[in-house]
Amino acid sequence: MDERTLDEIIGRYPYPSGRTLGILREVQIKEKHIPMDTLKLVSEKLDTPLSDLFSLVTFYSFFSLKPVGEHLITVCMGTPCHVKGAEKILQSIQEHLGLSGDSSDGKYLETTPDNKFTVEIARCFGACSMAPVLHVDGDLYGYVTPEKIPEILTRYGWKR
Amino acid sequence: MPVNGRKRMVTITINKNQYLAEEGEIFLLTAMRLKIDIPHLCYEKALDPYGSCRLCMVEVVTCGKTEMTPACTIKVHNGLEILTDTPEVIKHRNILFELYLAEAPKSEVIKEMAAKYGVTKTRFLKKIVHDDPLLGKCILCGLCVRVCSEIMGTCAINFINRGPFTVVNTPFYEHNPDCAGCAACARVCPTNAIVFEDTEKDRVMRSWSGTTVPMMTCSSCNKPFAPEKLMHEIQSRLDPQINEDIRNMCPECRRRYISRREMKIPIT
Ligand code: SF4
Ligand code: FES
Ligand code: FES
Repeated sequence: MDERTLDEIIGRYPYPSGRTLGILREVQIKEKHIPMDTLKLVSEKLDTPLSDLFSLVTFYSFFSLKPVGEHLITVCMGTPCHVKGAEKILQSIQEHLGLSGDSSDGKYLETTPDNKFTVEIARCFGACSMAPVLHVDGDLYGYVTPEKIPEILTRYGWKR
Repeated sequence: MPVNGRKRMVTITINKNQYLAEEGEIFLLTAMRLKIDIPHLCYEKALDPYGSCRLCMVEVVTCGKTEMTPACTIKVHNGLEILTDTPEVIKHRNILFELYLAEAPKSEVIKEMAAKYGVTKTRFLKKIVHDDPLLGKCILCGLCVRVCSEIMGTCAINFINRGPFTVVNTPFYEHNPDCAGCAACARVCPTNAIVFEDTEKDRVMRSWSGTTVPMMTCSSCNKPFAPEKLMHEIQSRLDPQINEDIRNMCPECRRRYISRREMKIPIT
């Protein structure tokens, strides 16, 4: 993100309350991730230690440090979804999109080489009654099974 | 509170025995002074009590009711009544030891402390500590993070991630130019998890992604003696400044220089 855009964003937050998170949120939405250089710039401009900002962006799952593709698929890994087979859902998505990597450290963020899809995991959307659930760009899908994955992906331009 | 600059002495009850204690003192310190054993890991005099390790739990008795409270957050006042070895306290403590044995499986400090209270095994899954820059010894008490920010004002390290994936390190896990190399973090760490190393020219904070701080060499003997950034930081706070001729000397050379000067021995 160039300095002018960042200054504009910062200018919208004259008051300290909610400032840091507000600015970072806008950076995340605009850039679809938090670029390292931008975070360093924010740290300088707000006179806030970089370690504090890094702590924040790694705490909230809303932020990601790696760039995100055109469509963002979020698979819920909360306990109820996990029990209902979220692991298999993630696996099936990975197979269809040709992604690898594991989620054993509680984080997962992979993007397809054509930059079309990014898959991430999160904890509980608050829709446990429809477990297992996933989001694509804000559309919620409940009672997902591995068999339903191709159909869902096709809606977002995935081709076999 | 202090009367005429002196501390007021009050009566407190610990395990049904009465003692005199200083009003306002941290109860954990009072107990230590009275040789009443309370295990603790995260209390550090230089910092405000924080109560993160939860090991120092005791029961405070008020109006016949008891309440579990960390001893390091209790201030002594008249009539304070504490129980330090009830079944409740012991149960709590033992579970904590088990959790810590799983969280920091490589820590000798934890193992020894737990063993002293009869806990040698854990039922919890031990953390996998392959490649851990903190050697599988960190209990996430936060002392290093707090000393770095609250005392040194450097904020070189912080917590990263959350829940079971929380670690302490530098932002982006890379060399952090903010670090002054003071190693105060290593000094306060209760489990000796933080590793650093002084090489010929630099201090390398191994645990903090290899953050490297150049050492200042003594203007007299040419030996490296303290991190440059730390020295500059200290010097910038001094008023009046240290004399030019001894400013960049190591403590040893400085001592020799001053004593020679005082004794009027020619300085070579
Ligand atoms: S490294 Fe040491 S001082 Fe820092 S959080 Fe871990 S146990 Fe506490
Ligand atoms: S656990 Fe998935 S929505 Fe609650
Ligand atoms: S020493 Fe009191 S909570 Fe850690």
